[in-house]
Amino acid sequence: MELFASQLLNGLALGSLCGLFGIGFGLVFATLGILNAAQGCYASWAAIIGLAAAEKMGAPFPLIMLAGMGGAAAVAVAVDQLGFQPLRTRGADMLGALITSIAFWMILDSLAGFATGQQSLSFPSTSYPGQMLLTEPVPLPAMQLITIAVLVAVAVGMHLLMTRSSVGSAIRAVGWNPVAAALGGVNSRSIILLTAALSGAISGLAGTLGGVLTSNVSFTLGQGLLLKGFAAVVVGGYSDVRGTAIAGVILGILEVFVGQYISTALRDAFTYSLLLVFLLVKPQGLFGKGSLVRA
Amino acid sequence: MDYLSDLWATNRSTVAFAMVNSLFALSTYVVLAAGFLSFSTVVFAAVGGFVGAQLVVKGVGLPFVFGAAAGGGLLISLLVAAVFLRLNSHWMALASLALVLITRVVTLNAPALTGGVNGLGVPLALPMDWLTGVLVLTVLAFYALHHSWFGVASRVLREDPSVAACMGVDLRQIQLIAFGISGIVGGIGGAAYAMLLQFISPDTFFLGIAFTMIAATVLGGSYHWFGPVVGAVVYTALPIVMQAFLPHLLQEVANGVVLLLIMIFLPRGLIDPRAVRLRRAAPAAAGVMKIRA
Repeated sequence: MELFASQLLNGLALGSLCGLFGIGFGLVFATLGILNAAQGCYASWAAIIGLAAAEKMGAPFPLIMLAGMGGAAAVAVAVDQLGFQPLRTRGADMLGALITSIAFWMILDSLAGFATGQQSLSFPSTSYPGQMLLTEPVPLPAMQLITIAVLVAVAVGMHLLMTRSSVGSAIRAVGWNPVAAALGGVNSRSIILLTAALSGAISGLAGTLGGVLTSNVSFTLGQGLLLKGFAAVVVGGYSDVRGTAIAGVILGILEVFVGQYISTALRDAFTYSLLLVFLLVKPQGLFGKGSLVRA
Repeated sequence: MDYLSDLWATNRSTVAFAMVNSLFALSTYVVLAAGFLSFSTVVFAAVGGFVGAQLVVKGVGLPFVFGAAAGGGLLISLLVAAVFLRLNSHWMALASLALVLITRVVTLNAPALTGGVNGLGVPLALPMDWLTGVLVLTVLAFYALHHSWFGVASRVLREDPSVAACMGVDLRQIQLIAFGISGIVGGIGGAAYAMLLQFISPDTFFLGIAFTMIAATVLGGSYHWFGPVVGAVVYTALPIVMQAFLPHLLQEVANGVVLLLIMIFLPRGLIDPRAVRLRRAAPAAAGVMKIRA
């Protein structure tokens, strides 16, 4: 029973990471129409920048998180303006954006490998709250609780932002049709910048937390998050933040339980098969409206 | 003469890799030319690669190895097409990406067929004349296809599916044929790749190769069959050329930058039939202007 409970917690924390990353990934996909293969690199770079802040400046934990988020947001905006903006002005399709993002993936990943010396680094144990909040009846590390809480906060915040605020309406309007949004008085250029920065910051938050939680700061961190986050976005329905968060958590729990009780080899198979089934049977996802124009 | 043979000796494997990458790029191109972005060539290549490797281990002759790889690729491509063609193009891209992820898990967990984590050694180096022959045949087939009913129909389909349907083009049929061709060429490419590397593992046919294929195709230009061949050659040769100028660590970065620059400045790729036509039309148009003036 104790094993079950602690694995449930592990799954929750892992799933929260995937969900959090997925929210950032899905934001760009749903509003800017870009399937961004470079999104995982934002997470890797956030972790690297956070680690630098911890090691070089001895920053406290909240500042490390902020440094990671800010760094990832800056990278995301730079990628958007250097790579995606020229395509946007030309009216290129999704394929062009995907290839461009692959180019950025190659660039940012190899630079990340360069930055970590092709190794997997980990945060110094003094830089984050490493203590256990509980040991009985189940061990509860503080970092797991923080990760779960962050997901809940970001998911609720983003959902409210997207559905209840004028900025959210503007983001959705630009995603639907930038020209019509501009006619409606929305400055699409700044909204696109804001969306890119927001998505980078959220993915960066997932990356920094993931770097601490899994003790893995390298380019592989972003790749893992990208694949699982992609699954969470599709299963949850990418037009809905709540769906992504819930799907991420479910996938995380399933993955840990399949690994624990069925077979470690089948962990990934299960996640990806679920992803494929959803794409084929219910492409709008668990919570999606399916109202998007499917060209 | 010595210089030439030295040059050949040092670049022989680059040429071979460029040829195999051309096969992969052509396989990606034929589906892209029918309007779908699909990563499933990796899956066809994996099937062809492992089928080919198993047959080589059993000592089967090369014609049968390539035949079986092509057959395996065709079979799996028709299966994929039957399931995936219900999807629209965005979802097709995502679903095929998911399929690539699953392929790796499947190959990892079927050690009897694929060697699992340890991979599979292939005890036969691919003779260069065989590879050249296969590529020449494939290119000839693509040349014939380009000028065939299928080629015209798929170009119309890509530009505007509604117009194509109005002209009496059966969309499903064209897409199914495109996938079938992609499967055959991808399977053959996979077998050739296995014999070229002489070792394949689940990681051989994963995201890296998927992105290489797409990048090479788009780099060369996806509007004419010659584009993917040029793209594959450039994409394979680029790192070798870079070696002379850049430290090893920066090569991958430079590859990405080149790809990025091409996407920004040459979005239709290096080989673009439309640009050629426009250039040809330009003097004529200028003449018209002169007469009017």
